Amino acid sequence: MTRPSPLSFGTAAALVTMAAAAAVVSCTVAPPVTIASGKQIYGQKCADCHGARGEGVDNKYQGALVGDWSLPRLARYIEKNMPDDHPGTLAPRESEAVAAYVFESFYSPAAQARLNPARIELAHLTNRQYAVTIADLIRAVAPPTAAEPMSSDATHGLAATYFSVAQRGRFDAAKIAHRGTDAAVDFVFPENGELRARLALPPLDRPATPNSREPAGFSAQWRGTVIAEETGDHEFVIRTPNSIRVWINAEPDPRSGNEPTLDVNVSTPMDPDHRVTLRLLGGRAYPIAIDWWALPEKTGSPVVPAISLRWKPPHGSERPIPARNLSSGKAAPTFVVATRFPADDSSQGYERSISVSKAWDEATTNAAFEVANHVIKHLDRLAGTRPEDPARAQKLAAFAENFVGAAFRRPLTPEETQRNVTALLRTAPDVENGVRRVVLLALKSPHFLYTEVPAHESDTTRTATRLAFSLWDSAPDVELARAAKEGRLRTPEEVAAQASRLLADPRARAKVREFFQHWLQLRYLEDLGKDAKLFPDFTPDIIDDLRASLGAFVDVVVWSEHSDFRDLLRADYLFANDRLATFYGLPAPAGLATSGEFARVTAPAGQRSGVLTHPYLLAALSYKSTSSPIHRGVFLTRSIVGRALKPPPQAQTFDETSFDHSMTMREKVVKLTRSENCQGCHAVINPLGFSLEWYDAVGRYRTTENGRPIDAASDYTDDGQASVRFAGPRDVAEFAITNAHANQAFIEQLFHHLVKQTPRAYGTATVTRLRDSFIASGYNLRKLIAEIATLAALPAVGTATVAATPTPPHP
Amino acid sequence: MTTMHRRAFIRQTGFSAAILPFITGLPSLALAAPARPRQRLVVVFSPNGTIPPAFWPDEVGRDFQLKEILSPLAPYRDRMLTLHGLSNKVRGDGDGHMRGMSCLLTGIELLPGNIMGGSGVPAGWASGISIDQEIKNYFQSRELTRTRFGSLEFGVGVQDRADPWTRMSYAGSGQPVAPISDPYQMHEKLYGQIKDRENLRSVLDPLKAELAKVRTMISAEDRRVLEEHESLVRQLEREITQSSSQTLRVTPPDLERGIADQNDNVPRLSRMQIDLLVNSFVNEMARVATLQYTKSVGGARMNWLDITDGHHGLSHEPDTDEAARKKLIKINTWFAGEVRYLADKLAATPEPGGDGSMLDHTMIVWTNELGKGNSHTLDNIPFVLLGGGFGFDMGRALKFDKVPHNRLHLALAHGAGHRIETFGKRDLCTAGPLALA
Repeated sequence: MTRPSPLSFGTAAALVTMAAAAAVVSCTVAPPVTIASGKQIYGQKCADCHGARGEGVDNKYQGALVGDWSLPRLARYIEKNMPDDHPGTLAPRESEAVAAYVFESFYSPAAQARLNPARIELAHLTNRQYAVTIADLIRAVAPPTAAEPMSSDATHGLAATYFSVAQRGRFDAAKIAHRGTDAAVDFVFPENGELRARLALPPLDRPATPNSREPAGFSAQWRGTVIAEETGDHEFVIRTPNSIRVWINAEPDPRSGNEPTLDVNVSTPMDPDHRVTLRLLGGRAYPIAIDWWALPEKTGSPVVPAISLRWKPPHGSERPIPARNLSSGKAAPTFVVATRFPADDSSQGYERSISVSKAWDEATTNAAFEVANHVIKHLDRLAGTRPEDPARAQKLAAFAENFVGAAFRRPLTPEETQRNVTALLRTAPDVENGVRRVVLLALKSPHFLYTEVPAHESDTTRTATRLAFSLWDSAPDVELARAAKEGRLRTPEEVAAQASRLLADPRARAKVREFFQHWLQLRYLEDLGKDAKLFPDFTPDIIDDLRASLGAFVDVVVWSEHSDFRDLLRADYLFANDRLATFYGLPAPAGLATSGEFARVTAPAGQRSGVLTHPYLLAALSYKSTSSPIHRGVFLTRSIVGRALKPPPQAQTFDETSFDHSMTMREKVVKLTRSENCQGCHAVINPLGFSLEWYDAVGRYRTTENGRPIDAASDYTDDGQASVRFAGPRDVAEFAITNAHANQAFIEQLFHHLVKQTPRAYGTATVTRLRDSFIASGYNLRKLIAEIATLAALPAVGTATVAATPTPPHP
Repeated sequence: MTTMHRRAFIRQTGFSAAILPFITGLPSLALAAPARPRQRLVVVFSPNGTIPPAFWPDEVGRDFQLKEILSPLAPYRDRMLTLHGLSNKVRGDGDGHMRGMSCLLTGIELLPGNIMGGSGVPAGWASGISIDQEIKNYFQSRELTRTRFGSLEFGVGVQDRADPWTRMSYAGSGQPVAPISDPYQMHEKLYGQIKDRENLRSVLDPLKAELAKVRTMISAEDRRVLEEHESLVRQLEREITQSSSQTLRVTPPDLERGIADQNDNVPRLSRMQIDLLVNSFVNEMARVATLQYTKSVGGARMNWLDITDGHHGLSHEPDTDEAARKKLIKINTWFAGEVRYLADKLAATPEPGGDGSMLDHTMIVWTNELGKGNSHTLDNIPFVLLGGGFGFDMGRALKFDKVPHNRLHLALAHGAGHRIETFGKRDLCTAGPLALA
């Protein structure tokens, strides 16, 4: 059930706070007199514009009156600003009465929770869940391969073999000139060059007689894996004037029937870039194999043999693939569905899928065909049979049944086997089309597409499914399914033990990484380009480095021993390579083998405070030439201190030219947002944003602006009315660490990302309970994640419509 | 304005010639123009040159005798043109075979590149579009002649490699179009949608049953989502029913199963591809096709003709090697037989919704990358035209004197209604289209 859209702003919507308990108290005891009078005044003076129940009125005030301000703050705001046409005409007692009525009846989170009781909703797979589930499903139904999905003992870079002859597509083991590991594949081989000598490569000159069969030229093979950091389209670019065959996310074995991803026999020096775009899931390793050959040429040919393996990852610029994304290990290919689905519903501040549409249904059909085509293409290999195998039909039928069970994430009932497998195989024109139909029906079925469909499953099977989806966005693996089958998933302890096992899997890392990308809004921060005159050295390379540096920082904190949330907010170190260290005035990183790597460096005292001051975010939350306290303040408000913000009541553009040049950015923002109308939100936004005035438009630390000293200090009024002084980001971090509201907002966001349901559906006190144990654990993020997943896997309430009915308060 | 002639419209409205290019793009005008009779083009390629004395008629004009290699085409003598004296005059990088192949339909030089042939300078792909693709683009640009694919590129035994010896069709500079050698793959391309539709339709009943069952098991609030989902499935079902009512003129050919793409299957693969080609024409999937037998320097071993030597190797033997000569005549006669099979199929198929047979509306161009295998000459490239619909005066043996073959491409374009002034290398087009009408 969709709740009204006004809650869509900010990520702290629908907070379950301590205030919820208070609301429960007030609605179960006799309402104070002021509420009745408030209702009367509201009806006379407010309802025309705001609607009888605060739902909003078209062409007047359209937004619903819903938010997370405290009652006193709401009363003060009403007293000063309402009614809009005669502000200031309400007596203080009248404003209080109206505020009390509004607060109790619909404004407060508690009122919203009461009006829209939470339950675990029927949800279909999100787009990410679909892609990950299909990838794992295809792997699960395939016979085990020698290559592990991930191997960790390999070195950075690709395994390289050079040959002293070029034969079209052939590599002769007797002609190996050199073997080793290349950190990156980015070479030019000029005649008489040092590189050719080192690799013992022969000259390219053709033998004297043109038709001579004598071997000439040289060639090379690179093998290993490429590791995608983020999910999305990766454009691979192989730059070479020579011939190549490249397999990416495919086995180069001709018996596998895999065509090369790029097959370039004929190349031209005028257009040496060969491109292919592949969709990859973040956090996984994919096999890559490159065959390259520099064919014999005439002496003095202007074309110099060369090869550069480059890519443009999501959010990145085109560059040679860095060593940290290459490994000499092995990996099995991952099937990544290419069909595009309509965007998931993010109206609640997180991605979930509680509605269906024509576009979605079409996407499920197209994706089912895509998977079916893949299955049919590799059918014999997947089913462990051969065209001439006398038992082929039986093996294919067994494969088909196995596929449906894996898709449904549980054993099939006899009726399902009959309807979803046997009947389809019997009526199809041939067995291939029969299997195709089985795959189509399985992937169109509600038992595959929905995560909360009641079916013929045991409680423990459902627990396993919920756990796996919370931590992996995927179906249970063999081990988890076995635990479910053996009834070993009944107690919180049993579930928690599986949760920590699942958490160690790369799929959990990938999902957690995407949470932090969401929390830090990294998916929407694209354009970091700055005024080239002011910041000539802020190059695309720096921007790519910054994104990688931020990712490395979050990864290291989350997966370190203490997994301490507080480090995320107040760490005095960050990750840098030489380029970043030089640009940001940081100590030189030590022990870096390649340019693609980063090392931990400690910033000069007091200059950095975790993600709050990471230059990637600071630069993204800036204008082209100046800082932007408003963008930074909005980010801190929503993500770090966890307050909801409504869209601005009036559109204001920040026009640099309209201000006196001698003003500081802070002075300009104060001037721009000084009206009472703006101050409703900017009283919160500005102090937070000003705390980051220590950083310029590219996130460099500064002590002056326009020759004037930075003034970053201001007083932030917490909702509890106590004023807090923020002199810089470190103060904001300490506040966010100890503030209950901030903690709860973070926990709720994490819950949403993992479970795709509201925590209120698991009991009104869910978030406060989670916060208590989070603090008790020393802010341990991994423990928090495991606890959320465990709690969601074993809900006290079932999928049935059990509202979060408030428990009557103790008298 | 539905029936007014374009010229009449222009006359009445007083548009000057200067704005003609603009108004011809108007859809209503295009529709108002009298429909041309349907036109199709098939380019058939066979490699390694021919044996000229056994190929070219001695006579010029209408009264000519077919020589041994062309003898299978005897029933179509009156609907043929043999064009002796066309030269591939494109020079530049690449060896004779490479230029023979990749300049054959493009009439333009190869790009610099990394492919070293048996002689000359290394080279890359052709630097321009080929005539089949040019005419396809022209057909596709007009509502009346647009088809689902526009063109289809068939191969027979073309090996799985990509270089200037294996590609004659180009979508543009440096953009070779790969022929599909596997008839099953071609069948899937042409008719896969229909099979998909049948497969999808077959799972809708059990899917509906599943959704209906799940609906009864969930809460009232969640039921709304399932009901919407069910209505989407019903909608899908209606769409499938509607789209399958647009039936094909002819059913897809039933291909013999399990014919692997390998040398000894070439005769069967050839017939399967020709069946698919004619079938795709009847079903209006394309109006342009290429049919490429092996490749330049193709070394097919025609065991089915009791010839165990590779074709390319044989083609290098000197004229004095009588055994090789006989074998090469036999090989080329076999290719003519395949052209005959294509012509027979087209002649036996009535033109859908039109007059005469499909052959009356289809021009077959059979060609080769070399004039003669052992000399590697690019003069006197074998060009045989067979069929109708392009307004050519058929039933003649013509002789020219080293005329650039670009002029034939221009004639084909003009015959298709596409009045371009040059094609390929501009200098080779100065004398305009070859006069074949």
